[in-house]
Amino acid sequence: MGAAVKRVEIQAQQRLRTLMRDYFLDLDAAARDPQRRVAWCTSVGPCEILAAFGFATYFPENHGALLGAKKVSHQYIPLAVSAGYCAESCSYMNSDIGAAIGGYSPLQEAYGIAGPPKPDLLAYNTNQCREVQDWFEFFGRRHNAPVFGICPPRQLGEVTPAHVAFVRGELERLIHQIEGRFGLSLDRRRLEEVVALSSRASTLWREALETARARPAPIVFWDGLIQMAPVILMRGSRLAVEYYETLLAEMKQRVHDGIGAVPGEQYRIYWEGMPVWPRVRDLSEKCLELRAAVVASTYCNSWAFEEYAGGDPLEWMARTSTEIFINRAESFKEPFLLDMFERFAIDGAVFHNARTCPNNTNSRFGLAQRLREQHNAAVLVIDGDLSDQRFFSTAQTMTNLEAFIEQLETRRRSGNARRPAAQGAGR
Amino acid sequence: MNGAYFVGIDAGSSATKCVVLAADGKMLGHAVVPSGFDYVEAAEAALTGALGGTPCTREGIGFCVSTGYGRKNIAWADRQVTEITCHARGAREWYPQVRGIVDIGGQDTKFIWIDGRGELIDYRMNSKCAAGTGTFLESVAVRLGVPLASIDDLAMSSTARSILNSYCTVFTGTEVIERIKAGEPRQDISMGLFRSIAARVFEMSAARDGPIAATGGVVAHCKAMRRALEEILAAPLLLPPLPQQAGAYGAALLAREMAAETDSPQRAQSSQREQSVER
Repeated sequence: MGAAVKRVEIQAQQRLRTLMRDYFLDLDAAARDPQRRVAWCTSVGPCEILAAFGFATYFPENHGALLGAKKVSHQYIPLAVSAGYCAESCSYMNSDIGAAIGGYSPLQEAYGIAGPPKPDLLAYNTNQCREVQDWFEFFGRRHNAPVFGICPPRQLGEVTPAHVAFVRGELERLIHQIEGRFGLSLDRRRLEEVVALSSRASTLWREALETARARPAPIVFWDGLIQMAPVILMRGSRLAVEYYETLLAEMKQRVHDGIGAVPGEQYRIYWEGMPVWPRVRDLSEKCLELRAAVVASTYCNSWAFEEYAGGDPLEWMARTSTEIFINRAESFKEPFLLDMFERFAIDGAVFHNARTCPNNTNSRFGLAQRLREQHNAAVLVIDGDLSDQRFFSTAQTMTNLEAFIEQLETRRRSGNARRPAAQGAGR
Repeated sequence: MNGAYFVGIDAGSSATKCVVLAADGKMLGHAVVPSGFDYVEAAEAALTGALGGTPCTREGIGFCVSTGYGRKNIAWADRQVTEITCHARGAREWYPQVRGIVDIGGQDTKFIWIDGRGELIDYRMNSKCAAGTGTFLESVAVRLGVPLASIDDLAMSSTARSILNSYCTVFTGTEVIERIKAGEPRQDISMGLFRSIAARVFEMSAARDGPIAATGGVVAHCKAMRRALEEILAAPLLLPPLPQQAGAYGAALLAREMAAETDSPQRAQSSQREQSVER
């Protein structure tokens, strides 16, 4: 009998725990300090502007994910439903609203704080979905705080200069709203600094994800779900840049040393769509058992923006926040996915049909089937949800995943596997 | 190889099926027992039933593959394979020309597509919902207080084009009662029930073509299910001699193939253990 293989933990993780603790404790302190202000922001929202104004920024989507990961969403969603929110609307939103009504936050146990910081301002961008608008409006009413938003053009094929100019105008409008409401004046030089830091963290994050092109992949989707926290929560800070410098160095070393995130990696999988937060551990363990490395995902790449090369920071913000995958038409998504399959030498793609997240589900308009039929991609669609575990069947999903690996094995044996480019996975 | 016989066990949510093959692949025995609360107990009973009347004893089993929801519970199986692969393998053995396999089980409905070499090219399963499964039928039968066999007989005498909603098991039961109250003939309502399942199955067909076989307990026991499927698929179905045992048969065939690829069952087990990893 062979010796059991141990998974090598990511060393940077220890630093990440400290960063997260400091971040939430600082938010809590900012909310109680009359000299400081707190802004709530969407994850691909205008956080750079808020940071440049000096707001401590908090991200409710992260709280929604934490509620899902804690497997408590289904306990709080009914409170939101009883308050008038549809049970099949975004489970991040519903669980977050429900938890607020019920007086619960995972931050209580994790960091000993009461919960999310009270906002002075809520600023959203509907580039991901319109749900964030009503989510933020709920908390704006609850905390008697202003809610400002940006509504860019959605589902774009090509992002044109006219689209970017429009969103840039929205950002200018937001700046004026904040200046008028709080009597502040935006330091444009400071905004450039924040944008440069934001872009640097994002670039380093993308480079860390790109190391998974190596065989074996040093980092997989399940790691990415943890490692992506700073690029969302601390984007625009030096802390995020420093963290990703450390992570990238570690991943490069792993590639050099041939350390894979999945020991004995046999299959390379792409994850399309949202994670199933309450079942991340089960799914990662199943993949480990099947020797399936989820080497790339749309989700973790959502914060991998194009690099800022100086110039107008608002133009960069407008372009990068509008160009994101979730805000694009399938005419963009299909070649994007094929390129990812090629570059990461993907054997098969899993599409997560998240019941309450139509915006970040890409199996509802025939895309998965087209990839299968026109490009010979091995594709599996699983039903679930990002946070509400009532929509997820563990037994059915695990059988689906096992059957998918059986299918990939058969394809490989019969020589019918899609052939990725040879340059895809070089060390 | 220690033994000369090969066993497939399909531990399903409603029934556990077992098939025993001889070294040459000929089916020697088979059995179906209710799964009940204990997959292990049901598997033992199914194995005992399948071995009965064959020259094979437990010691004579060369290799065993388990499948179905309880596949991981059968500790004495040499390998576990999903029911998707097993149903495809079983159906193809009976019908080499088959391309599509519809399996309607107690908890799951699957539509599986294979190519000319038997390679799995696509499959769909029902989502987390009982509608379109055997459990859906059983629930409505219980609600009506009628045995499932009676619903099948009633349905087969219908000449109308009735169809029921199948998006919720509970509300379908209510709809059935409303239609009875409205005076709709019971045979038409019964046939509408099977058509509603067939409509759910059709949604999983992925618009592919080719000869289709039907497997699973529901098609094995209900003629009306086969009729409804043929109506919506607009093609005659291939109906295996033992539709309910198709998964177990496929598992037994895979057991025979795996044994041929492996020097000994001990080596197979050892190889499996080597694959276990710690996180």
